Amino acid sequence: MARYQQGDFTAATTLIHRLSPQLHRFFLVQFASRGDADDLLQETWLRIHEVRHTYRAGEPVLPWFYAIARHIRVDHYRKASRTAAREERLEQMPEVAAALPPGSGATPDLEALLAPLPESQREVIEMLKIAGMSLEEVARATSSSVGSVKQKAHRAYEKLRERLSGMGGVGEG
Amino acid sequence: MKDKEIDEILKRAAQAPHEVDPALLDRVSKSIGSSLGPVRPLPPAWVLVGGLALICAAVALAGAARAGFYGIQKLSVLERALIFPALGIFVWLGATAAAGEMIPGSRRRAAPGLLLGAGSLMLLVVFAVLFHDYRTDHFVAQGIVCLTVGLLHAIPAALASWFLVRRGFAVNPVAAGLVLGTLAGLAGVTMLELHCANFEAPHVMLWHTAVIPVSAAAGAVAGWAARFHRG
Repeated sequence: MARYQQGDFTAATTLIHRLSPQLHRFFLVQFASRGDADDLLQETWLRIHEVRHTYRAGEPVLPWFYAIARHIRVDHYRKASRTAAREERLEQMPEVAAALPPGSGATPDLEALLAPLPESQREVIEMLKIAGMSLEEVARATSSSVGSVKQKAHRAYEKLRERLSGMGGVGEG
Repeated sequence: MKDKEIDEILKRAAQAPHEVDPALLDRVSKSIGSSLGPVRPLPPAWVLVGGLALICAAVALAGAARAGFYGIQKLSVLERALIFPALGIFVWLGATAAAGEMIPGSRRRAAPGLLLGAGSLMLLVVFAVLFHDYRTDHFVAQGIVCLTVGLLHAIPAALASWFLVRRGFAVNPVAAGLVLGTLAGLAGVTMLELHCANFEAPHVMLWHTAVIPVSAAAGAVAGWAARFHRG
C-alpha cells in the first residue's frame, strides 16, 4: 500500500488483483447482481485511488478498503433508491436449501447461504468469516464497536443455526 | 448445530473459487495507471486532533478578546476549574472523533450522536451544579443574543476545521458533518463562557448549551448536502 501511495504501478496492479475477488464477493453477498458487483468494484477502485492518501502506514489495511467499499455500496443503493426493487430481489433470492445441496462434501453457495440474514449481519459475517478480518478490523470497517460486531455475528449465527437445523442436518452428511 | 459446524460450512463456502473478469481488472489497472503518481499521506491523527482543538481554542479566545472576558472574570476559581476542563475534554473527544471520521477504517470510540448527547448532558450537569440563580430576567432577549453570538463563532471554527481536514475522506459525510458541527459549537460555547457574565442557570443551561446541538445539526445538514451533491 505504501508503494502504491508512492506511485508504484506494479504495487497498484498487485493490490487490484489480490483484493478484487474478495471485494467483488463482498458486493455479491449484499445481493448485488454480477453486473452491479462489477460496476461497484470498478467504482470502489476509482474511489480508493482518489483517496489513497488517507491510508496511514502501519494501520490495518483491510478495514480501510472495506470502509470505502461499504461506502460505495451504501451510496449505490441510496442513489438508485431501490428499496422496492431490493424487496423484489429478496423475494427472488434462492432458499438456503439451495445453498447446501445434500451431502457433506458439497461446497455451499455463499450468497444463498447468507441470503436470509439482514444486511448488517451479512456484511459482518462476510468480513469475519470470508475476508478473515478480526473483530477489531470489522468494527473499524463498519464504524461500530467490537461489542456491536460480536452481537451481530452472534445473531447471524443464531439465524443460520435455525435455518440449517430446520433443514434436518443438511451438510452433516 | 454447533458454532464450529457453521464455521465449517462458511469456511467451505469461502474456499469456493471466485473469479473476477480479468478484462475488468485490466480496465481498472489501466484507468488507475493513467493517473498514478506519488501522494502525500495525511498527517498523523494527533496532528489533526491537535489542530482541531487549537482552532476551537483560538476562535473562542479571539472572540472573547474582541468582546471582553467578562464571564471568566466573574467566575469563581471552582467554576473555572470545572467548566473549562469539561469543555476541554469535550473538545478533545470531538476533535478525536472528527479526525477519525475523515480517515476510512479508523477506530470509532463513540458514535457521533452519542458524543453530542453525552457531551451536552455533561455540560448541562456541570452548569446545573454550579449555577443556582434561577431568575429568568430578559430570558428570551438575552438568550437569543448569546445563541447568535455562539453560532457566529461556530461558523469560523467550522470553516477552519473543514480546511484542516479537507484532504480526508468522509466515509459518512453526515456523521462527519455532525462531529465537525459539534466541535464548532464547542468553540462557540467556550467563547460564551469566557465572555457572558449572565450566570442565571436557565440562561446558561438553555441558551449556551443550545449552541452545540444547533451547530451540530447545521453540520449534519451540510454533510447531507455534500453527500447529495457528490451524487
